[in-house]
This record gives sequence, structure tokens and C-alpha cells, in this order.
Amino acid sequence: MAKVEPGMEAMVDVYIFETTSLLEQLDEILLRTEKANEFTEEDINEIFRIMHTVKGSSAMMGFENLQKLAHKGEDMFFIIRENPEKVTDVSFVYDLVFQMSDIFKAEIDAIQNNDDYEPTDFSPMIAQLEKGAKILKGEVTSDSSESGATPAEVKADTAGAPEGSMTVRVFFEDGCKMENIRAFMLLNSIKEEAEIIKFSPDDIESNQDSANVIIDNGFVVTFKAQDNSAVLQLIEGALNVQSYEVIDDSEKAESAEAKEEEPVKQEAAPAAPVKSPDTQPSAPRAEEKPKQEAKASASSSGKQSLISVNLLKLDQLHDIVGEIITTESMVISNPELNGLRLESFSKAARELRKLTDELQDTVMSIRMVPLTGTFQKMNRIVRDMKVKLGKDAELVIEGDTTEVDKSIVDNLNDPLMHLVRNCMDHGIEDTVDERIAAGKPATATVRLSAMNASGEVIITVSDDGKGIDTSKIIAKAERNGLLTKPVSEYTEREIQNMILLPGFSTNEVVTEYSGRGVGMDVVKKNLEKVGGTLAVESKKGEGTTFIIKIPLTLAIIDGMDIEVGGAIFTVPISNIKESFMVKSDQIINDTQRGEMIMIRGVCYPILRLHEKFSLNTDITNLEDGILLLIEADNRSVCLFSDRLIGEQQVVVKPFPKYLSQYDIKGEGLSGCTIMGDGSISLIIDVNNLINSR
Amino acid sequence: MDIKELLAKQEEMKKKALNTKNDKESEVTKLMTFLIGKQVYGIEIPYVVEIIGVPHITAVPGVPDYIKGIINVRSKVVPVVSLRARFGKEEVPYNERTCTIIVTIDDTQVGIIVDEVLDVLPVYQKNIAQSPEREGVNSNKFIKYLLELPDGIKLVLDVNKLIYDNDQHSMMD
Repeated sequence: MAKVEPGMEAMVDVYIFETTSLLEQLDEILLRTEKANEFTEEDINEIFRIMHTVKGSSAMMGFENLQKLAHKGEDMFFIIRENPEKVTDVSFVYDLVFQMSDIFKAEIDAIQNNDDYEPTDFSPMIAQLEKGAKILKGEVTSDSSESGATPAEVKADTAGAPEGSMTVRVFFEDGCKMENIRAFMLLNSIKEEAEIIKFSPDDIESNQDSANVIIDNGFVVTFKAQDNSAVLQLIEGALNVQSYEVIDDSEKAESAEAKEEEPVKQEAAPAAPVKSPDTQPSAPRAEEKPKQEAKASASSSGKQSLISVNLLKLDQLHDIVGEIITTESMVISNPELNGLRLESFSKAARELRKLTDELQDTVMSIRMVPLTGTFQKMNRIVRDMKVKLGKDAELVIEGDTTEVDKSIVDNLNDPLMHLVRNCMDHGIEDTVDERIAAGKPATATVRLSAMNASGEVIITVSDDGKGIDTSKIIAKAERNGLLTKPVSEYTEREIQNMILLPGFSTNEVVTEYSGRGVGMDVVKKNLEKVGGTLAVESKKGEGTTFIIKIPLTLAIIDGMDIEVGGAIFTVPISNIKESFMVKSDQIINDTQRGEMIMIRGVCYPILRLHEKFSLNTDITNLEDGILLLIEADNRSVCLFSDRLIGEQQVVVKPFPKYLSQYDIKGEGLSGCTIMGDGSISLIIDVNNLINSR
Repeated sequence: MDIKELLAKQEEMKKKALNTKNDKESEVTKLMTFLIGKQVYGIEIPYVVEIIGVPHITAVPGVPDYIKGIINVRSKVVPVVSLRARFGKEEVPYNERTCTIIVTIDDTQVGIIVDEVLDVLPVYQKNIAQSPEREGVNSNKFIKYLLELPDGIKLVLDVNKLIYDNDQHSMMD
């Protein structure tokens, strides 16, 4: 992580989190407004608020470049906000702001990941934003030189206060500390109501010593507002403001209507509120009201009943709950209780079990997060690619409230992005004419949906494009030497799924978005990392669908516990086809391939677990133990074990870090779990077990 | 001799006493001692998390012999190492005095099985002797320093090497 001012390190995480979510919010609003092709007042206010917060927190963290950039963005929306009716063509604003938001995100990434973070110079982007502001200004202020100018420019060239402005000297409470920061916050809140023309001392953001100047001389700010008294009220109500006075040294302020001066000339003690509603002109007042209402509604909807918690703490909580449950069974099934009649104890024990079960469920559900955020990000990709590729497409999102374990969601981003890009780039027809000729609507649809299905989440990414051309695929697979049997023996489905093989990319031309040497096999690998699978279904001319299946959570699996020579192993239920006792006449001894068993005409190899893991057991005769037919990736073996213990849900724990230097995974074990009695069982990774045979 | 002189002298003596203590008597750290066979070994206390008996150990395939497997220490899965096996000594069956010392280093917890835990001793600078460069002693490479005490020499183990140094060939020499 980047080095920041001392004492601020702890804040960086919060800053990154907050800014990232704000930027996501910004993207969302922009996408929505771009679709609707108009900015509502609420949207503009919201964007303004976001830029503002980003600016403020960047300044606080000392990221000057980001602060400047946000400031320029804010300026632009300031112009739009002040003159919404005059700003007609805002389309270029979207590109500009999207660009800015990307730069922001990249920079925040850099802050997060680089120890030796160096601030990037954003001057080209800032220049662009300034240009954008000028274009907007050019439209709205061809007649006057000052009213539409950006605050930054005004700040630089205001010698005297312009017409209708007001200068106020603010004193903060004694000993409230960090007066310069408070002044800065005050400025920010005034900015929402009024245009800041100048303030002194003017180096409050960068100079700590300015706090002393403020203590001695007060903080002088000159602003211009439609409703000056509203601003004064705001100042009066601001945190830690002790008193303020209106300075009428400029004759221009005097020339402003007298009614505004009268109520505010006094030192506003808390008991003397500035109120003179009857002297207000009715027009600005009326305008003010809806604005305030809009703000109120925005702020109330912005308040969430959510808190962000460090994932590490959740893991700890999860561990403790596991501990409690283990301890609980140690108490309840304590051998010392055997043979005792304990009526009230049993009752209390049942109650306890009920509560701990509930506790476990709740803790599990805390880790579950909806896919909404991940899905929303795809909007942006579709939008960008639409522009770049000149294809008209719409993203339809379904079931985005489906919840998945946090650790999985984090790993879904890249695969989904790749799939959506793939749909946009390769899936959808290159020209609208092609689509119309095929009898499809001109606007293509990319559909992203998620749903729960028996302990799994199924996510599909589909398009209504041209589909997969199987003849092309098989020709290419042949060229790349990926075929393992004669062409005629491949089913259509097998051919389609070839695009998921390593070393396969159907697009002849490498484009900016897909086919950058990273094929679909990488997507598949990434999904497999979180225990997911990827399949493709396609119909030529109708479209392609990618189906992702992922477990609800990595942490829990349904497992069958088996015993081999005193050791306990857990086999994931999803891999077990059947379990059975065997008679010796079913066994075939092949000199080359070892023991085999014939079941319903199919021959399966037998894998003796006690031999595999060198365990001592009395049960070595196949007839005495039990066989489990397990399957993974279309390959099957029969596991030979002493006996079945039973089925249960287990919490998967990784092997200790210390053991990661050894290839335990390669031996066919994926992790371990702590059983109810406190002993440890090893979880079998069927795929690797078959590989390691 | 007036009273002022007397006081000054006393002060001086006090200082002297303090200085010598700083040089030789100061406690560097504390040591937990335990037995492997007849030899007393020690581990510096900051590394020690807790001492438990020998719980049920689940063997794990594909690891060196001295890693006996994994155990459940209050819902944490912790690997255990047998010091006897680590030092190339003959292994003995566990009895009621056999203990597992849970040590921690860089957030990694490892259990170490020892024959018997003895005591916690203070370590003074004056008692520390550097480990002699003796070849041919299996456990020598894991020794951080020696502690010479009236009742015998204690070998203080380097936990870092003990856990991370898995160069088995040199150990077998």
C-alpha cells in the first residue's frame, strides 16, 4: 500500500473502499442518465455530491492529484447544475466523466497495490475537463464573463467581490482544533448553496499554520448565492462555529438589497437565528424549496443500514462459532454423562443446540453477498464496447440479488467480464444488416442471469448473436492438434465445448477486448479455482450461452465420511455415484491395470485407500469393506474403504500454511475439516485422486 | 567525613551495582526447557503459545517423516513435528509426560512433540555461550546458542530453522 502521511495509514483502507464504491455509484448514475438521455436535478446533485466527497477525502489523505482531478469534475457539474436549462448537449460529458472515473480507479488501484506509489500526473485529463467546462460555459455564458466561470478560475481573478456577493467572517469555537480543516468543511457545505468567490486564508487545505490565522483573525469567505440568508443559516448551523459577522467593506455588497443585510448584520449568537421569511422575494424561495426537498430525499436514500466489516474478522467469528459447536458436542456427549438420567439437562442441551445452529446459520449468511455489484459492473463493459465496436446491444440483468459467498464473488469478476466481452465481440453479429437479415431485432441482447439451484448458483451469460459455427471450430481444433478421436465421433456439444480448451481462440483477428492471448480456458481455470464449472451451449444463428455453476460457498460441502484404518476421510457427495458391497466374482484382475470391477457392463478400476495413503487396516479383503463409485470430469474409479460412517455437512478448512510446501493436493486431498468429536478428517479431492493414481 | 561525602559515596556504589547488573545480570529473555532423551533443550518463551498433551494426530500423506500430521487445537488445524524424528533420533512411544508445545512464528503455528517439559528459566547474558561448530551432531544446526548453568548445559533451539529449514540431507549426515 502506498505511503501516506503518518497517522493516516489506517484511513487508507477506508478511503479506498469509500472512493471505490462512490465511483461505482457514479458509473451507475451516468449509465442510467445516458440511457434516459437527461440529467434530472437529483442525478446532478448526486454526482456533485460524489465528486465532492471524493475531492474532500482525497484532500484529507493528501492525494493532491486526485483532489485536483475531482475538483475539475466537480466544476463541470457545477456549471451543469447552475444552468440545467441552458446546457443542452451533454453527451460529450459522459465520455469525459467515464474517462475520469477510469483514471481514478486506476490510480486507486495503484495506491492500494504499490508500496512505492508515485502520484500520477493528471494534467492531460484535467486540461480535457477544463476544456469540457469551457464548452459548457461557452454555451451558457456567452453574454457574461463571470457568472458561468468555474469557481477555480474565479478564485484566481477576482480582485473585488462581484455584484450580489457577501463577505462573512467566521469564528470557530475556542479549542475546537484543526480550524483550517473545519473551515474547509464549511466551505464545502457553503458550496452546495452558493458560489464561493474567495476565502482567506486561502491555503487552508495545504497549510496547517493557517489554523492559527483563523483563530486570530477568523475565516473570511466571500460567496454569491441566490439566497444569501440560507447560506448564513448554514454557516450558523455548521459544527463548531462560534459566531460570524457580515463584513460590508465592499460597496457592492451594500448595493445588494438592504433586506439581506438587516437580519444578518448582527453577531449570530445561537439564540438569534437569522429568519426573515417575509422579506424574502418569493421567487428564489420557491425555487429553493424543491431543491431542498430533493436533497433531503437523496440523503435519506443514501443512508444505508449497512456497515462494512473486515473479512478477517468474519473469518475469526466463523472460527469461534465452529469452536463453540465442537465444544458443545464435547459437553453434551461427554462420556461422564453416560447412564445418567438427566431430564432438565437434556432439555437445556436441546435448547443450546437450537441456538448454536441458528448462530451458525447467521454467521454463514453474513459472508453471503448479492451479485448485484458484480453484475452492475458489466453494464459499463457493454457500454464501452458498444461505442468501440459500433454494435448496438443491451444488457439484461436477471436475478442479481442471488447471494454467493464473498470469497467467490471476488473471483467472479474477471471471468464474467471476459464472457461478456466475448459475447459482445464474437457472439453478436458484426453489422446490424446481418441481424436484420436473420430476422432478429437490430439491438442485440446480452443476458446476464443468476439463480439458485440445489446448493449451487447458476450464472448464465448469453447473447442472441450468430452462435458457434461447429464446422469452423472443428477445423481449427484439427489445425491446432486438439482432436483425440475421429471428427465424425464428436457430438455437437463436445465440439462447442472445445472453445474452452487451452490453446483455442476462434477469432482470427486479435481485438482489443477479447482474444488477447487469454483464451476461454483461462476463464475456465479461474472458475475451477473457486470450485465452479463452465459449459457452453449454442445454436447456430440463435446465440450462445455460457453456463457457470459455482458452489454457494466454498466453506461448506456435503460430504460422506468414510473410515480407513482408523483415519477418517470425507468424500464430497457430489462426486459419489453409488456405494455398494462387492462379491469376489465381480472382481477382475488385470495384470496391467490391477484390480477392476464390472458394474452394469462397465469396467471400473479399484483404488484401495489404505494402500494409497499407507494406512494399516484389518480390512484388506474387498468383500469385507465397502466400495464407493466416484466420478469427476467424466472419469470414474471405485474407492475401497473399511466402512461408511455417515453423511454430514462439513466446514472445509485449508491445510496449514506450513504444509503448503508439500504437495498434499497432488495426493488427492483438498483440505481438512474438524469433526463433531474434535478429530480431523481429510477431504478427498476426487479429481486429483484419480489423477494421482 | 561529612554527611554529604557519605551520601555521594553511597550513590556511587549504587550506580556501580546497577552497572554490573546491566552488563551481566540483566535478563535477556525467558526460556522454556524440555527433554529429548537425556538432553535438556530450550525454546525462548516469546515463541511459545501453549503446551498441550498429545492429542489425536491425523496423518497427512506426502510430507516428510518428521511431520506427524495435523491436530485440532481449539478449532485451528495445526501441523505437528516430532523433535525426535527431526533430530534423527529413535522415536519412542508417547507417554503421559509427552507434550506438544505449540510455537508460533510469522503467524504460523506448529506443534512440537517433546519427551517432557521441565521448567521456565530466566536467561542472563553472562550464561550465554555461542554454539560450538561441531560437525556430525544432527541437532547442532538447529541450535541458536548454549546456556551454561550450574546444573548443566541447555541447548537453545532456533525455532525459525526448526520450522522452515527442511534440508533433509544435511540433517541425515
